[in-house]
Amino acid sequence: MPNNRLLAKEEVATYSGMLLDAALEQGGAERVLEVREQLDFVLRTYRGNADLREALGNPAYSPEQRHTLAVNVFDGIDPLAVSVIAVMAERGDLDKLSSTVNAYRNAAEEKLGVAVVDVTTVVALDDHLREVITEKLSADLGKKVVLREHIDASILGGIIMSTNGKRIDASVASELEHARIVLKEENDGGEC
Amino acid sequence: MKHFNKAAGKLSAVALSAGALALSCPTYAFASQGGGIQAILPEMSEFIPMLVAFIILWIVLAKFGWPVFDKMLEKRANTIRDDLKNAEEARQESERVLAEYQQQLAEAKVQASKIVADAKKAGEDVKADITAKAQAEAAGMIEKAHAAIEAEKKAAISDLQGSVADLSINVAAKLIGNDLTDDEHRKMIERYVAEAGSFNAK
Repeated sequence: MPNNRLLAKEEVATYSGMLLDAALEQGGAERVLEVREQLDFVLRTYRGNADLREALGNPAYSPEQRHTLAVNVFDGIDPLAVSVIAVMAERGDLDKLSSTVNAYRNAAEEKLGVAVVDVTTVVALDDHLREVITEKLSADLGKKVVLREHIDASILGGIIMSTNGKRIDASVASELEHARIVLKEENDGGEC
Repeated sequence: MKHFNKAAGKLSAVALSAGALALSCPTYAFASQGGGIQAILPEMSEFIPMLVAFIILWIVLAKFGWPVFDKMLEKRANTIRDDLKNAEEARQESERVLAEYQQQLAEAKVQASKIVADAKKAGEDVKADITAKAQAEAAGMIEKAHAAIEAEKKAAISDLQGSVADLSINVAAKLIGNDLTDDEHRKMIERYVAEAGSFNAK
């Protein structure tokens, strides 16, 4: 007899598999990556709002009310993602949202044979840079790479690349921070 | 005492009887006799009763008076002897007690001297101990103060140098952020990508 953890794992696999199949059916790899992007946004919103978490998981509301609430809150988000999230809210399964999004990411990358890499820079990448970065990361990861580009002036310069919890920080901000730490450590250890 | 009173009573009775006997005999005054030696010699008629009375009185006194006086004198002598003996014993006891007291006093003086000496020594020891502790505490406080001053000095210098480092880094960040053009940024990105490590690196 399966225990609760196995049941939860199966439910997560069901939600993520359902989403992936629907996305593939609707628009192939591009649609899968769009849904992935939307799911990341939903997850960030859900994690960052305690009132929303409490409302969507409140047992005082009926399943239909929670369903309607989720649809209304995430109005404007990809309909495919919203439909699955609304079902999860209706069944009181939103505590599995993070696991579902992760499972979707992994399943999507495995299904498409690609690695999605988040790339953060100060200026927008041009085609030459995309090619250089993609070649470098494809050789490193051993699979086709899809870049998700972000602009962030706070890194001052350079580039930050991350995928599946791994991160390469080659930004000017981190180098300056490293230099600051080294300067302070040298000062702390020096003679007066 | 009772015996003494009884004997005195008997003696008084005998003396009264002899006196009465002597008064009952007829007597004559010497002045009424003739002159010469006869004037100082008693008449026989007076002499014999007086002699008899004297003898009776002597016998009575010898029989009843002298033993009482002897006993009184002996008792008095015994009393005086006992008193003397007691006085001598008391004197000896006093001398013994005095000697004992003097010895005790001498011992007390020695003991007092010893106590004073001990107290003095203890006082000196306590004084030395307190002085040593005070010196140790003072040395510890000075050492702690030196350590605190040194630590604060290092912290202040460290803070100052940290501030200098922060300021330098912030200035560098502003210069980089403001002065680099987009093309320079892209060249930097390309260089950093080429120099970047691997996701698989540990």
